[in-house]
Amino acid sequence: MNTLLIQRLIPKMPLRYIIRSASTDADVPNFDMENPFEKEKPQCILCKHKIVVDYKNIRLLSQFQSSYTGQIYGRHITGLCKKQQELLETEIKKAQNSGMMGFYTKEPIFLQDPELYDVERPIRPHRF
Amino acid sequence: MIPYELIVLFRVMPKPELTTAIKRTANAIFDRGGLIRKLENLGTRETPYKISSNGMPHRQASYFLYECNIPPSKIGDIINEYSRDVDIIKKDIYKKTIPEQFECTLHEEMQPPPYRKDVQEIMALARRKEKRKFKANTGMDYYPFQK
Ligand SMILES: [Zn+2]
Repeated sequence: MNTLLIQRLIPKMPLRYIIRSASTDADVPNFDMENPFEKEKPQCILCKHKIVVDYKNIRLLSQFQSSYTGQIYGRHITGLCKKQQELLETEIKKAQNSGMMGFYTKEPIFLQDPELYDVERPIRPHRF
Repeated sequence: MIPYELIVLFRVMPKPELTTAIKRTANAIFDRGGLIRKLENLGTRETPYKISSNGMPHRQASYFLYECNIPPSKIGDIINEYSRDVDIIKKDIYKKTIPEQFECTLHEEMQPPPYRKDVQEIMALARRKEKRKFKANTGMDYYPFQK
């Protein structure tokens, strides 16, 4: 009985014929195409709008600074990629050292600026 | 000659005095074989922090930006001359940076830790530092001798 079952499972068509039909038939789907359901890669806000961080643009820089302590927010809060965060921090330090931007203070006119990220909801938990 | 950006903070003074001060600072660059490409007034405003210079605290300053090409060997010389200038509160010189092209890597950084490349490197490092345990090869699953 077992042998009978196995014989039923084996296709009756010769293998050679199956392969030939697959290569010539136009209706066979193309399995080499890229995944059409792949999600769009997330980008950080500076990369998305192609913004170049500059130390003279204090208004932009102070948006990544705490309005209470002047601390530069980390990557887990700002949601920037590694490279952009690195560039941002160097530019902020340049602006601070050249007397354009405060170390511990934020300009009062920048306090009403729109928030680019939520400080209360970081991407990764932190100890503060 | 490398392009530089020079930021100079002048003390608040009337216009004719300011023009002579700017000319003085510009001539210091020209005398050392440099050239100025752009001179920009960033305005007179309150400084973000109190700056003490020339024996006096300053809370306001006139900001000026010089885009200039200076021979690198003369930069220390120019900074030295500016530091002796009575009208200059603060000066800073930076190399002009050309924005480089790079791809955003946020999608890689958003992955859970074991999939991130930098975490994998740290894990490999920790594994390498693990102490090797001595194997007695006695064929027994316990240590037969007294410890
Ligand atoms: Zn990015």
